[in-house]
Amino acid sequence: MAAVTYIEHNGKQHQVEVNDGISLMDGAISNMVRGIIGECGGGLACATCHCYVDDAWIERLTPPSDTEKEMLESVAAERRPGSRLSCQIPVEPGLDGLVVRLPATQF
Amino acid sequence: MSVTPPPIKTEIPAHVPPELVRAIGLTEGPEFLAAPHAFMASLQHTQPPVFFNTSDNIGNAWMLTGYDDAYFVLRHPEIFTTRGSVGFPRSPDDWFDFIPLEIDPPQHRRYRGIVDPLFSPKAIAKLEASIRALANELIDAFIDRRECEFTRDFGRPLPVSVFLGLMGLPQDMRDTFVDWAVGLLHSQSREVAGNSMRSIAAYLKDVIADKTRHPDDGVISTIVHTRPDGEPLSDKEVFGFVFFLFIGGLDTVFATLNNVFLWLAENPRRRQEIIDRPDHLAAATEELLRVFSVTFAGRLLTQDHELHGVQMKKGDKLTCILPAANYDPAAFEHPQTIDFDRPRKPMLAFAGGVHSCMGAHLARLEMRVCIGEFLRRIPDFRLQDGCRIEYYPGGVVGPKALPLCW
Repeated sequence: MAAVTYIEHNGKQHQVEVNDGISLMDGAISNMVRGIIGECGGGLACATCHCYVDDAWIERLTPPSDTEKEMLESVAAERRPGSRLSCQIPVEPGLDGLVVRLPATQF
Repeated sequence: MSVTPPPIKTEIPAHVPPELVRAIGLTEGPEFLAAPHAFMASLQHTQPPVFFNTSDNIGNAWMLTGYDDAYFVLRHPEIFTTRGSVGFPRSPDDWFDFIPLEIDPPQHRRYRGIVDPLFSPKAIAKLEASIRALANELIDAFIDRRECEFTRDFGRPLPVSVFLGLMGLPQDMRDTFVDWAVGLLHSQSREVAGNSMRSIAAYLKDVIADKTRHPDDGVISTIVHTRPDGEPLSDKEVFGFVFFLFIGGLDTVFATLNNVFLWLAENPRRRQEIIDRPDHLAAATEELLRVFSVTFAGRLLTQDHELHGVQMKKGDKLTCILPAANYDPAAFEHPQTIDFDRPRKPMLAFAGGVHSCMGAHLARLEMRVCIGEFLRRIPDFRLQDGCRIEYYPGGVVGPKALPLCW
């Protein structure tokens, strides 16, 4: 389990406990965090769970797969160095304290 | 491709418990045809979460009405495959797949990768101005008449025009495409559907040949000229891909627009609510997509699977009734209340999982632009006196005609 802080585009913060193995996308949706849609449910088919991982954390995550990189080219909001698809980041204890920011729009 | 309709199988397998066998008239019965979305909502309490529906028209299959169950099915293509699941007539002797829907992962990605960049949020956002212009052009044609037949004058031509533009097809094919779509998707006769399919197939083959010689930046040309593994797609792959986009892209937005505008015509205060909150239009659109979903997700079991104590077997057909799942009270509190401030949760109008609708972003944009522009130009409208709304039978839920006046 890890405490994850999601910061919506309007600045609203949600700190939620996410169980191990659950994706950041599912963690957001099951805790009613607005700003992540996750339409395809982690299928790498919709690019609607885009998030910005805080600089301090980027290097600590498993790098994106080629398919994720491909889909990241399609996101609606600006793509930045910390851009990831939150469905591709499973939570594990090492991510306790993770901060992710959410874009203004997913589509 | 040859298109002799295979006979529909209507037997009930021995492992189906007799008490779960129903004939609910999904997409064809009187209750559905009277008020399809109220019927969808009612399935939450009139039917168990898993039952076996029988129908001579759509064939026999397991039906699921729950949100979580639908999500599970959509997210487990290894158990619930889309292979051969599209119910359009195809000859077994000259089979082709509807691509990418009928392709399982991981091969599925090879095809989605070709078109995802063309349908991504970013790519679709670029179409907004042209869709807005098109919507206004259509409105210009009837606004002074103070009446329109919405489905014919707006609901049909708008998505068809957008589709033709995206595909790289000529706009003067619009009415022909409309006729083909109606024949293919709304005819209760398998002969008429087969004839429409033959016409579409013949036309698309010519188009594919033309795009092969004269590439452009449209979707069809992109598919024709793609080299995913250094090799072009086969003729059958190209045809199945383009044909699938045709059936997926033409009718769904049309039906949704018609459903939404019928509701808007009958609910002036809710219409005003949308007009008063222009920056909330995306959320309103999302909620309307939830309550007026139009399609179903058909799957085949690749292995035995038990759900709610019901044993289903490998080879069984299964349908997620997505328009009903979007009324699941366990997922959406007071599901029949249309609430534009509802907490955000993925709804199933665009299905989900790897096969989630690739046109979802386009559909949302079209809906948003159409609602926004129509209400801006014609804020006050109603159904014409004495009109009776009739619904199409079949797998895309929407009214046949929608006479409006203002």
